[in-house]
Amino acid sequence: MEMELQAMYVQILALVIFAIGIIVAVSRRNVFFVLMGVELALNAVNLSFVGFAKTLPADLSIAGQIVPLFTIAVAAAEACVGLAMVIMIFRNRESVDSNDFSNLKG
Amino acid sequence: MTNLPLWFIPLFPLIGCIVLGAIALISSGSKKGPSEGFVGALSVLFPALAFASVVLLSFNMPEGGIRATLCNWIDIPMFKVDIGFLFDALSRIMLLFVTGIGTLIAIYSIGYMHGDRGFARFFAYINLFLFSMIVLVLSDSLLLTFLGWEGVGLCSYLLIGFWNHDINNCKAANKAFIVNRVGDIGFLLGMLILCVVGGSTILNYDALTSFISSIAAGGYAEGADVVKAFFNALFTGTFTPDIVVPILSIAGLCFFIGCTGKSAQIPLLTWLPDAMAGPTPVSALIHAATMVTSGVYLLARLSTMFVQIPVILDVITWVGLLTAFWAAVAGLFQNDIKKVLAYSTVSQLGYMFMAAGVAAFDSSIFHVFTHAFFKAALFLGAGAVIHSLAGEQDMRKMGGLLKKTPVTACVMIFAFLAIVGFPGFAGFWSKDLILERLYMSGPMGPFFYVGGLLTAVITAVYMGRLIVLTFFGSYRGSKESEAHIHEAPATMLIPMVVLAFGAVFAGWLWADSMGIKYFEEMLAPVVGAAQAVLPHNAAHVNPMVFAGLGTLAALFGMGIAWAKWGKARIPAAKGSSAPQGKMATWTFFWDYVHGVVVTVVDAIAWFVDNFVDKIVQFAQWLVASIAEILGDGVASFQVRKVRLQIALSLAGVVALVIVVLLTGGLI
Amino acid sequence: MLLHLLVLAPFVAAILMVATSKEDPKSSSRLAFLFAIAFFGMSIALIAGGNQSTEAIEWFRIPGAKGPVYYYLYSHGLGAWMVLLSTGLSLVALITARNTTCKNYRNFAIGIFALMGAMNGTFLAADAVLFFFFFEAMVIPAAVLIAGFGGKDRAKAAMTFAIYTLVGSAPMMVALWYLISQADSGVLLSLVIALQNMPEGVQTAILVCFLLAFMVKTPIFPFHGWQAISYSEAPAPLSAILTGAMSKAGVFGFIAWIIPIFPVNVSVYNTLMWLGLLTALYGALMALRATDAKKLLAFSSMGHLGLAVAGVFSLSEAMLPAVLVLLVAHGISAGAQFLLMGIGERMTGTRELDKLGGLARVTPVFGSLFGFVAILALAIPGTAGFVGEFTVLLSLWDMGPLPALVAGLCIILSAAYMLRFVQKVIFGEQKCEVTGTRMTALEGSSIGIMGVLLLVFGMHPAFITNALHLFDDQAIEAMAKLTNALPATADEVDENGAAPSSIPGVDAEADENVADDNVADVAVPMTEEDFRQLDSNLAANGFSEEERANLIAQLKAMEAEDSAEAAAPAAAEEGGNK
Repeated sequence: MEMELQAMYVQILALVIFAIGIIVAVSRRNVFFVLMGVELALNAVNLSFVGFAKTLPADLSIAGQIVPLFTIAVAAAEACVGLAMVIMIFRNRESVDSNDFSNLKG
Repeated sequence: MTNLPLWFIPLFPLIGCIVLGAIALISSGSKKGPSEGFVGALSVLFPALAFASVVLLSFNMPEGGIRATLCNWIDIPMFKVDIGFLFDALSRIMLLFVTGIGTLIAIYSIGYMHGDRGFARFFAYINLFLFSMIVLVLSDSLLLTFLGWEGVGLCSYLLIGFWNHDINNCKAANKAFIVNRVGDIGFLLGMLILCVVGGSTILNYDALTSFISSIAAGGYAEGADVVKAFFNALFTGTFTPDIVVPILSIAGLCFFIGCTGKSAQIPLLTWLPDAMAGPTPVSALIHAATMVTSGVYLLARLSTMFVQIPVILDVITWVGLLTAFWAAVAGLFQNDIKKVLAYSTVSQLGYMFMAAGVAAFDSSIFHVFTHAFFKAALFLGAGAVIHSLAGEQDMRKMGGLLKKTPVTACVMIFAFLAIVGFPGFAGFWSKDLILERLYMSGPMGPFFYVGGLLTAVITAVYMGRLIVLTFFGSYRGSKESEAHIHEAPATMLIPMVVLAFGAVFAGWLWADSMGIKYFEEMLAPVVGAAQAVLPHNAAHVNPMVFAGLGTLAALFGMGIAWAKWGKARIPAAKGSSAPQGKMATWTFFWDYVHGVVVTVVDAIAWFVDNFVDKIVQFAQWLVASIAEILGDGVASFQVRKVRLQIALSLAGVVALVIVVLLTGGLI
Repeated sequence: MLLHLLVLAPFVAAILMVATSKEDPKSSSRLAFLFAIAFFGMSIALIAGGNQSTEAIEWFRIPGAKGPVYYYLYSHGLGAWMVLLSTGLSLVALITARNTTCKNYRNFAIGIFALMGAMNGTFLAADAVLFFFFFEAMVIPAAVLIAGFGGKDRAKAAMTFAIYTLVGSAPMMVALWYLISQADSGVLLSLVIALQNMPEGVQTAILVCFLLAFMVKTPIFPFHGWQAISYSEAPAPLSAILTGAMSKAGVFGFIAWIIPIFPVNVSVYNTLMWLGLLTALYGALMALRATDAKKLLAFSSMGHLGLAVAGVFSLSEAMLPAVLVLLVAHGISAGAQFLLMGIGERMTGTRELDKLGGLARVTPVFGSLFGFVAILALAIPGTAGFVGEFTVLLSLWDMGPLPALVAGLCIILSAAYMLRFVQKVIFGEQKCEVTGTRMTALEGSSIGIMGVLLLVFGMHPAFITNALHLFDDQAIEAMAKLTNALPATADEVDENGAAPSSIPGVDAEADENVADDNVADVAVPMTEEDFRQLDSNLAANGFSEEERANLIAQLKAMEAEDSAEAAAPAAAEEGGNK
């Protein structure tokens, strides 16, 4: 008998990935890594979405599968902007260390 | 032949102004400037055309005058005024000498302004002035008169400041305009009061006359308390029928304030002597013959109203008397030939106001008429003297010009005889008439008469001084300048001679003691009814007595002048021609008074600038600082590191989740 | 269609301007002139076309509001003339800016078109939310233009301007939100009805919020802090638009969005009249002391607008045409003065009054034009300014002689500072070299035409006043449709609609009546308390005992008729609301 993929495992995987993403974002000083961590966390949420969608009947699960598609599109755009910003900051500051950036402090 | 349309008269100078203005503007870039002959011809043509139209209309004027409503001007709720013209005996006589003398002075100016950089501009202004002046006297409503009223004020400003590279001329021009503005606001408020009392229709002179006569027919509370009524109206804004006449008195006072501004009476008179900064033809036309007499014209025009408010008439008489006396004495102290004439103008205007104050509007207009001739002749003569001396205006540096410039001297001496009231000359008839009317006016009459007569003596003294210092004795200027003295060109002499004729003969239109009353009969349809309202002293005095006393006053004054300055050696002048010491105190008394007002306004402005404004700015700063402090406070929550920020927010989320799990929701 | 074009097309024009070259002011200015002339022509057509409105298009819904926000434009004479000022001044500003801001002319034109669109929207909006949207939108292009093209202190000026005006209208936003949560929609009639049903305290609170926004925009003392710095630091062509058209939005707001909507509140209105007079006096005094030419003009503008506001709140019969003429006259003359001063600054490089002087000798044509325009600003009879000031004085006299006397004093002071200004700039010794670009023929003639227009309007103000039809019956019917057409309100509408037709031919008066009716008639039945209030108000305004009794008796009779008619529908309304 085929092993049915338990929804719980998907969520656990999503949680693990999310945790990794957050830890990367918080612990690394390199802005690129921070961005990547955020990206990872975002994808974990997508995964969680899909995982939950699977628990629903087919006609209802469609919403849960479409939302990640939106999120992926948005995330792509966000990644573009984010990278562009980081590059601009690097050009101006010659640094990719997130600790150097505290303009919002005023 | 049917008559010309009335709007032809103001149209010509208006076209002239536009054409000459365009020429001035276009040629302003070029070095050479437009041809003076061409510009001069144009600038005389348009006033002359206006004069011709007036003459033509004068011959065809029916008894009641010509009225023509042109079009609607302002039409809004509460306020509806038409543009209309009224050509009656009063406006006819005013128009005749305004356009006539205007034309003469335009001719004179061609010679006087020769070679000036702003030649075309000057004539554009002169034409604009004539347009405004014509509108002033030709209009059939107060509002349109006000257009001319401020228009002439504007032209006066432009022409006083004509040589605008000298900042002092500009200051004199500004002063003239602002002081006139004060008077104009009086005029404006007067119109507003009339509007409130009787609606905007009574701004029309005919409607006003019928309105006043209906009020007079209804009777009113004699001696109602004007002051109380005014304050009542001030605080409540209501005008009940029983206080209409007191309110009319206030309106009359407001109009009179307007007149004091335009006609340089106490207290708004300081601008006229300063206005001598303008070119001399301007002084002759605007500040002697025409514009300054518009106040007298307005009093005559509103005579129906003024005779209903005797309180204000008394005020007018007193103001006229004080002005006449004060200016005559100030005239004694002047060394500048134009300043003497300026103060004499103020003094003569005082006579006119005195006459209007005793409800002798016809004789005051008659004095306006004769004064226009002799004062214009005097100013043009003075201009010719200044011209021949290359700009010298200090009389102490003149003398003996009789032989060098005989024509000018003759013109000025004839005009001098007219102003002092030498028998047979124009001023004799008009001034005597005024003195006679003053005497007959009522219980205060003899006092006014004596005041007028005394002023006449002083007039003869200071005018005699002017003539003696200028034309008799020996020349006191430098040797080099003496060689250059020359008679003025013909363009200047011809108008002077024509005006001198007027100065000699104009008075014969109303030679009262000879029984010639042409002028009086002519004006009777306009002011006759009004003058009959107030009672006159019935006691008849032989007019020959007045004539004799007037002649004696003139001769006495001339005698004093000759005795004091005729043989005396006048030291060569040093320094400024302005009077010094006590003379300055007297001359500039009203300037000091104005100075106080100006200082008060300046002080208030300073206070507003440095105090009120600072408070407002401080309030602004306070609000901004509070916002800033609050903002800083919030910003302190902003920690330094981005990663820490993320971690904290994560911790916050976790904490929230835990709380929710433990309590089952916060709420 | 015309209305849509005037409001939306400027934004399109702004976008199209992006396509032109940034480096070449010549080509971009040609396109800009073309657009500006087209808009100017449209605004003339708008005035000539009389009152017109667009279909009310549902735009969006605000959470909490009863009805939707409409994109609904309506042009009455007042708005149409203001639109003319906005397009006309923008045209001349674009012309003079070509030689002033050579660099980046394209971006300047983009800003001006955006500003023009927002201003037109403000003056034409028939929905309160739409009005507010444009009212706020005006600030952004103006602030950006100040920041981009202004003088030395431009950053501070732009900041002050933006923050001050935006903060000033923040309370209005809240009040407006509350108001449309009670009213059926944002159109005037719904607001009137909604306000009638509110307790007096709430009414006053909303009124004060609205007033604050307009007082800041006009500006009225003591909310004028932004004005002097913004006007003086902004590039002169923009200052001309700001004072000539944008500041009119404040006065326009008073006339179009306060007086017809709120029940007459005598004490507040009296206070505002005195504040207006105080502003006029304050502006004149500050102008007397100003050392910066553009600050002098800014304070002079403030003085004139103060007078206009005082005129508005005199609430006399002649108020509306008087204020309109004054606004148009001031818009043209102040605009022309700012433009000329901008050219002067360009030529000499300074705007300090003490460093200027003698320009009449060096540049006679400029000098003549400068003097000419200054004289027109003095309100000499025969100019539009005189008609405006005199009729406003007449309106003020309705409130008693004292306000008129104060206004008279302001007129004297205005002569003093204006002549001082003229003397310092163009007369006297020449103190500064003329180095910059001189006035071009195009600039001179366009400003000259503005001057001539003032003369024309001064001799025939009917050109302006005849266009004045504030709210005609068609407009009120259209608005009634958006007010859920309750039977009770339909009755009121009939009454309002009947008023103009009963006085045929006398347009301005009829409109006045309608405006008054809006204030007085669209009311819930009056109680005895109301009558007593009215009685004391009338007494304060100087009506005699007999007149008051008479008036109140008439009102009571009308009231009785109304209540008989409206009894049943009113009950229905009550039920509907629950």
